[in-house]
Amino acid sequence: MSVLRSMDKLPDLNRATILLVGTEDALLQKLAESMLQEHCASELRVHLANSLPLPSTVNRPRIDLIVFVINLHSKYSLRKVEECLSHVDSSFFLGKVCFLATGAGRESHCSIHQNTVIKLARTYRSPLLFCDLEVGSFRATMAQRLVRMLQICAGHVPGISAVNLLSLLRCSDSTPSKEL
Amino acid sequence: MASAMEQPGEKLAAGAEGCGEVRGEPQAAGESIEDRIRLLLRLRAQTKQQLLEYKSMIDANEEKTPEQIMQEKQIEVKIEDLENEIEDVKSDFEMKTLALNRMKLSAALTNNMEKMDAESSVLTDDMKHILELHKLIMKSQEESSELEEKLLDVRKKRLQIKQTSRSMLLEIQTEKSKQKKDLDNMENSDVIKTMQKKLQMEIKITTVIQHVFQGLILGSKTNWAEDSALKEIVLQLEKDLNTI
Repeated sequence: MSVLRSMDKLPDLNRATILLVGTEDALLQKLAESMLQEHCASELRVHLANSLPLPSTVNRPRIDLIVFVINLHSKYSLRKVEECLSHVDSSFFLGKVCFLATGAGRESHCSIHQNTVIKLARTYRSPLLFCDLEVGSFRATMAQRLVRMLQICAGHVPGISAVNLLSLLRCSDSTPSKEL
Repeated sequence: MASAMEQPGEKLAAGAEGCGEVRGEPQAAGESIEDRIRLLLRLRAQTKQQLLEYKSMIDANEEKTPEQIMQEKQIEVKIEDLENEIEDVKSDFEMKTLALNRMKLSAALTNNMEKMDAESSVLTDDMKHILELHKLIMKSQEESSELEEKLLDVRKKRLQIKQTSRSMLLEIQTEKSKQKKDLDNMENSDVIKTMQKKLQMEIKITTVIQHVFQGLILGSKTNWAEDSALKEIVLQLEKDLNTI
């Protein structure tokens, strides 16, 4: 299958799957490990990928949340992520996609401007999170946050759905873009 | 097409296998009935939520997408409108839930009040305190609204005064400019020019007459300084008529 669809498969009982897409293998690995160390009532599965489309040979559970990790130090990661976005079905963008920008802490190494990533997230109407994945404590906090988001997107939290969460996470600074 | 060109890489995280270990639930021995019931209830809530999500997706897919090709800006505007609709519905729902909860609470309270008599002193004290606070709140709200009205009135008056003063200043300005214009007009008019010419003529004639009289008196070789009347006349003849 070349396009990821959100509701193709039935969910497994008590299982939540997250897909981390990015070019930095080491960072993804560390983030995955931090997430798996989090205390969570449901079963977590973390899948890592460098790019989409994913090979269709693997038997994969339903993916509940896709996190695109962009490294602000390399333009290559941004380009790869933009290429991957076309392989994701539009039903995912109703709250099941999240952008994560790392490396904003060291301004001198940043080759991508923050506004580029902000515009990308705004075009796809998905939340954008900033986190320096190199630092352990930030990574642990971000892992906690992602685990909570994943639980909501997987439907494990009664009363909140992914779309609900999306409108809650909506950026409050979306109006200045109209003035530009 | 893309899958032929790229080399997609995917690997299961090492911890994914480790995820088979169920968290929070102790295995086999030591699992109490309560834990099992808790697990079942949680799974039930999860399945309900997931069913709700699938149902809403089905409903959403029944909506037909518009056939015409809209511009990106229009699509964005439409998306914003839809998002605002979602927000409105959500806030409505939250307020209704709040109202419902309040009604439930008050119903439970009244039921309890009817039951308990001797023990309800704490409850009644709290309720009385709440009522007093409510009265205070209402009173201070009234006062603040009155003060706001007064403030508004004062501001309106100030605005009026400003406007009248502005209009008066404008009037003064127009009057002044009109006067100045009239003055300029008058100075440039021909009547004045002819009058000025005549005036100059008369001054010259009078000066000549003055000099003639002067000559007469001096020529008569009388001592004009002795007689005061004559002295006055001579001094008057000296006056330059242009400076009058």
